[in-house]
Amino acid sequence: MKPLTWGIGLLVLAALAIMPFFVTSYIVSFTIQTFMWVALAGSWNLISGFTGYVSFGHVAFFGTGAYTGALLISKAGWPWLPAGLAGSVTAAALALLIGYPCLRLKGPYFAIAMLGLNEVVRALISYFEDFTGGGSGISLPPILSIEPVYYAMGLSAVSVTLLTYVIITSQFGLRLLSIREDEIAAEAMGINTARLKLYAFLLSAVFPGIVGGFYAWYASHIEPLGTFPLLTTITMIIMCLFGGKGTVWGPVLGAVLLSVFQELVWARFLFVHQALFGALIVAVVLLLPKGILGVLQERYRLPRAI
Amino acid sequence: MRDSLILEVKDLTKRFGGVTAISRCSLALEPRRIYGLIGPNGSGKTTLFNLITGLEHRDEGEVRFKGERIDGLKPHQIALRGIGRTFQIIRIFPELTALENLLVVARSTGGAARRRALELLAFVKLDRLKGEYAGNLSYGQQKLLEFTRVLILDPELILLDEPAAGVNRTLLNDLLEAIRGLKEQGKTVVIVEHDMKVVMGLSEKLFVLDYGEKIAEGPPEAIQNDERVVEAYFGR
Amino acid sequence: MPIQITGAMMLQGVVSGLLAGGLYAMVALGLSLIFGVMRVINIAHGALLMLGAYTTYWLFALYGMNPFLSLLISFPLLFGVGVLLQRWFVHRVVNAPELSSLLLTFGISIFIPNLAMLAWTADYRSVEFLTGSFLLGPIAFSKPRLVTFLFALGIAGLAFLFLLKTKLGKAIRATSQHREVAQVCGINVRRIDLIAFGLGAGLAGAGGSLVSVMFSVFPEMGQIYVFKSFLVIVLGGAGNYPGAFFGGLLLGLVEGLASLLLTAQLSEVIAYILLVLVLLVRPTGLLRGRA
Repeated sequence: MKPLTWGIGLLVLAALAIMPFFVTSYIVSFTIQTFMWVALAGSWNLISGFTGYVSFGHVAFFGTGAYTGALLISKAGWPWLPAGLAGSVTAAALALLIGYPCLRLKGPYFAIAMLGLNEVVRALISYFEDFTGGGSGISLPPILSIEPVYYAMGLSAVSVTLLTYVIITSQFGLRLLSIREDEIAAEAMGINTARLKLYAFLLSAVFPGIVGGFYAWYASHIEPLGTFPLLTTITMIIMCLFGGKGTVWGPVLGAVLLSVFQELVWARFLFVHQALFGALIVAVVLLLPKGILGVLQERYRLPRAI
Repeated sequence: MRDSLILEVKDLTKRFGGVTAISRCSLALEPRRIYGLIGPNGSGKTTLFNLITGLEHRDEGEVRFKGERIDGLKPHQIALRGIGRTFQIIRIFPELTALENLLVVARSTGGAARRRALELLAFVKLDRLKGEYAGNLSYGQQKLLEFTRVLILDPELILLDEPAAGVNRTLLNDLLEAIRGLKEQGKTVVIVEHDMKVVMGLSEKLFVLDYGEKIAEGPPEAIQNDERVVEAYFGR
Repeated sequence: MPIQITGAMMLQGVVSGLLAGGLYAMVALGLSLIFGVMRVINIAHGALLMLGAYTTYWLFALYGMNPFLSLLISFPLLFGVGVLLQRWFVHRVVNAPELSSLLLTFGISIFIPNLAMLAWTADYRSVEFLTGSFLLGPIAFSKPRLVTFLFALGIAGLAFLFLLKTKLGKAIRATSQHREVAQVCGINVRRIDLIAFGLGAGLAGAGGSLVSVMFSVFPEMGQIYVFKSFLVIVLGGAGNYPGAFFGGLLLGLVEGLASLLLTAQLSEVIAYILLVLVLLVRPTGLLRGRA
């Protein structure tokens, strides 16, 4: 990245850092959610945008992190920050458990398996009622100030973006892309695709686990149906796709634009909200499959790291 | 004697459903030579390459590379041991740039790898297109890019599946020269090629496949006059 | 569990399971057709099923039409909807990576039910047509389930007859076995795609008509059938049409027994674990041999 880009980036970060002191708590909450979406869309990008393996149950890592955080806070009395961070451990463990066997599956089969596994996790959490509160979920004490969550979520979003930048400018990143482009050729050229896919999958689970944990604290209440919906996975995907998958700033751009759009436009059309979202998905897939940055990249020969 | 072989294929058999694609096929390759593998369409040449490089699993037989069994290894393990290949139907990484197509395969990262990649691109006259997506290159250029991608892997044994097809005449001579040059660098090369002039001109020894069986082997002059070979090509 | 499970209860579980399985088989056959021909996983399948159910409901509620007779309307109607969806949207992602078709059909799958909700509200509606059950020995046969099962079996049978005997059916099977070869052999693959999506949608619509006789009709009703259909085609082998049929019966059987032996939540988990296990151990389905 050029010095100018760094300069602008630092300026934006500085502005975001002091923002909570100047705006209403409504804007702060909105920004917290946007940070969360940046982290989620960016994480999905790490496995699916890079390797082409469509993680259609990525919300499982978010939900696992949320339950880890909520349980550590409510049962073990942990402070929220370490409890949220611990979400990364369980999410990564889950990724290891399911990634190892499932990443052998090709194309649509991997997508279906991920979809199914998310349901398994959700159903298991509902089942172990004594521990997880079953269908009614876990309630946490209401939070007194949201600013700490703001910084925690913000740092998560920044970390995912930095991680993506580091990966994309490394040979590891190129190798992940080669899996997307032609896995067999990559294998034949000495690239250990199985191991690299697993690494990417693990990395892609870490931050959803963390922001899941933070989210549980922020929302004060979680329950299985609201924590593991397919819609959340789809939202991550569509944000990433809209901005441009396989790029650094695509998921950020997509998450910010769609969050703003959602807040400004859809909130006013509560009844047709879902229909509009459905139409938007169809429109993005058909009209802008490469995303905003993908199109710009192709037209102006921009590097992926932009 | 056996230890001096770089590749030894023994009684290799591969079936697809009821069809036997490779049938008790045996080859012995010595280092620093150029071999040709010929045969009519569907005779099993590409399948043989796939078996050697681990993309298909043998049903019977064994493959040894420098004396060690490699059948059963994963494709990337075989590649890292020193067997590189190109594909009959080009398999470059279309949305990576020409340069990235080489860097992604390089065994090291950093300046040296980059210099080597640029050197290889210059060698096939693709240096000016290094930033272009590989998918936007012409067919012949993609073929050459795939060829240089094997070279950056720096394998001891190189399997080339129709390297000359679609490469324009001016570059063809450079390509043939490069293949001969590989031998000077101590490499062993096996070429599948339909252009008989090319394959006869390059190879020191030919293997002929027909219906998955090796029906002849020998120097080009002998093969040209071999009755079974003539029969396999024209007799039906 | 304290309840003693008797042989008769087991048998009852098997019967109920198989009766439900016939419907799964027919609906999943539709999904399998679409997947087999185009490698498109149609997440909107449940939305199409819902439209079929509403068709039957309205014909019954407004005109008192026999729900089984309304199959003659719901099937062609949904066939038409399917053809339009294919022509307007799906054909553009047939050769794209699976992400495109998954998202596209997901988008459709939330768009249509939302419209249905706006048009018809989210109320639960029911078609009170056939009720009650009769006893055969110790086993109770629910009348609506038995009749639906027979209809499902009949419609699936007709679909198989079409696939096996007609020229068009053979072209569909050829395309699903090898798209490129079929194209080379002069089959108009895009027309086959249209027909396959139409048929798939028609089968989903017919499924909806049959479901409406047994369960409530509401905009989101189709969702569970999508997941079940995934499971069925994974069990039977994707694109394997007889496999989809037996997979449906098998799923019904497993569910019937699981509901007897396990809690509702756990039997749901079993279905998904089965899905993943089959994918991992035998991605080509239980019927077909190893890949």
